[in-house]
Amino acid sequence: MKGNRAGEKRMIRRFSRLRIFEHWGIVLSTLVLFATGLSQRFWHLDFSQWIILKMGGIDNVRWIHRYAGVFFSLGLILNVVVAVAGVVRGRWAPSMFITRKDFTDAVENMKYYFGLDDHPAKCDRYDYMEKFEYWTILMGGFLMILTGALLWFPILVTKILPGEIIPAAKALHSNEALLIFLINALWHIINAVFSPEVFPLDTSIFTGYISRERMAREHPIELARIDEGVPAASPAEHPVATSGTSE
Amino acid sequence: MIKRNGLALCLALVLLAVAFRAGHARESDLSAQAGKCLQCHAKEGIRANFPEDGESVPARVIAAEFKNSVHGILDCTACHAGYLPEIHAKKRFRSREQFRAATTSACRGCHSNDQIRGARIHTSFLKRESEGVAPVCTDCHQAHSMTPVSGGKIFTNEKQYCMSCHRYEMDMICRNKERISLKVDLSELEKFAHDKLRCSDCHFGFSQEEHPKRTFRSRRDYTVASSESCRRCHFDKYTKTLDSVHYAILSQGNLSAPVCNDCHGAHAIAHISHTAKGRVLTTQKCRKCHAQVYEMYSKSVHGKALIDEQNQDVPICIDCHTTHDIQNPLTLEYHERIPQMCGNCHANPSVVSKYGLSTDVLKTYLADFHGVTLGFYKKQREKLYKPARPIAVCTDCHGTHSITGTGSSSPPTVKANLVKRCQKCHPGSNENFPSAWLFHYKPSLSKHPLIFIVNTAYRIFLPIMVIGLILQVLLHVWRYAVNR
Repeated sequence: MKGNRAGEKRMIRRFSRLRIFEHWGIVLSTLVLFATGLSQRFWHLDFSQWIILKMGGIDNVRWIHRYAGVFFSLGLILNVVVAVAGVVRGRWAPSMFITRKDFTDAVENMKYYFGLDDHPAKCDRYDYMEKFEYWTILMGGFLMILTGALLWFPILVTKILPGEIIPAAKALHSNEALLIFLINALWHIINAVFSPEVFPLDTSIFTGYISRERMAREHPIELARIDEGVPAASPAEHPVATSGTSE
Repeated sequence: MIKRNGLALCLALVLLAVAFRAGHARESDLSAQAGKCLQCHAKEGIRANFPEDGESVPARVIAAEFKNSVHGILDCTACHAGYLPEIHAKKRFRSREQFRAATTSACRGCHSNDQIRGARIHTSFLKRESEGVAPVCTDCHQAHSMTPVSGGKIFTNEKQYCMSCHRYEMDMICRNKERISLKVDLSELEKFAHDKLRCSDCHFGFSQEEHPKRTFRSRRDYTVASSESCRRCHFDKYTKTLDSVHYAILSQGNLSAPVCNDCHGAHAIAHISHTAKGRVLTTQKCRKCHAQVYEMYSKSVHGKALIDEQNQDVPICIDCHTTHDIQNPLTLEYHERIPQMCGNCHANPSVVSKYGLSTDVLKTYLADFHGVTLGFYKKQREKLYKPARPIAVCTDCHGTHSITGTGSSSPPTVKANLVKRCQKCHPGSNENFPSAWLFHYKPSLSKHPLIFIVNTAYRIFLPIMVIGLILQVLLHVWRYAVNR
């Protein structure tokens, strides 16, 4: 909003309030989930034991983890429902869907990194790296919710399913957690904090605004569309509102 | 001057030597009268008969013993007054009782009350003498071979002194009329661990000078009181017992609680034995009070191996319950220690591998839900003072004293038992539920393949993904640096 006043041209609105709220939701819930979950997975480490005892013991940690899990699940469902509803009602384009272009972009980017091309891939609203991150967390999130629920109600589950489903769910839950944690810690945090283009912090998800320079470099196709006032997708299929980019 | 002194010293020494020699010669020779008596009384089998009660006493005197005795210099008539050889035949005692009374009065002719009161043991005798129930002198002091009492010259050690009485059958009578035998079998005692000790090391307050009279309410009172002696040397063990459940019961006034003597014995205190036989004997000590538990144990996989095969690898009572600081096994603290107790053997390859048992049982337990929770509950109690719920440990599924080998029942029976066991803590669980536990197995292709595949897939995929992401980041940064 500050950026808005500073100059329409320099700052471009990238994320709506809902997305900012969603991001905060996922930040807080995953922080709690990782702290309580990974400390249970790596229970033998001194650090984990310190965390667990600070939280008042293993039972507390398990309950906090479950409640945070419920919060995360609601957030995830909200995200999907809003996204699908938005696409169906034509409020915005299905910009998060993986397309053939994402694969060619990845190859193109590799060429650029190795000096075989003089410019990086020209990406639309979300580049292939952002899509990878979103989908791993979305799919992983669903897997975590499913396996977490199985682990929460083992007696109920084994009334229908064989008992081995419980340790299998545990194996999936803890391995998938580690995977998501590594993607977040290694990939997302590096990209959003330590990447030389954005250091010390990519503020766009907190303020909702992104600079025109970054837009031109990272999302040139979308920028061109905004400048021309062209909707993201073919108007016939997805009529998009004027501020269609800030979905 | 010096020369005159030297001469005087030499003279004095010579005189002393002559005097000593003369004294010694007088002691070692029997009197002429004694020689005369011994002509008959040295014969074997000679007895004095008492016409009134028909009893008799040996009348033989062994010359050598008498000669070495403190009274060896006396004439026979000094004690046997009136028995001059000429009138011997006319003198006769009517009964044994009369004879015994006469012997005492013979002694008391020389040894006054004041003199014998010097030894405290005589105090009560003197009192009882007036009531007519005192022992006669010769019951303890031999008639013809009595030794001087001066400073233990004859009793080379205290044990000998005590045994001079305690080798005989005698009883101490408690206030409830129970009798405690005071006879000590020295040859037995010397086979055991305390063979080098003096009597007064344990029976403190008693010595060659002192022999206080003590009475106890009951036999049990005496046992409990005498076990107090042990702590003088075994203070470490004694302090441990103060923390034990047995001491707690004792301090509540229950004298049936075991004390040192009950397990270790009194005079027959055995050396520590790690042989199979010694271990079996140890279980027998516990059996004295815990017969029911012993019955169960003796039928268990551990008990059978111990008793039937003399197997030394199996645990006996004290391996789990310890010896002196035995804890109440029904407390949560004890319950929490059980996995470690079982693990002492079952996680030790040198003990269980030869029986084809897995050593992973402890590790797999501790890494799974129950083990992790148990570990945290223990820490929480210690650091947060948080009360904990009981969590299933080894014994909850495998049993305690009645433990059987896993192969001894058919798999369906094991499963049915397990479901019942699970339902105790997880009400509503059905027969599928126990399979949620991996039965101590590490997932592999043959055991729990589903979990193995999931774990392996992530183990391969995770590093590939991480390396890929790091490469992408490094390339990005490198390109950025090159472009600038």
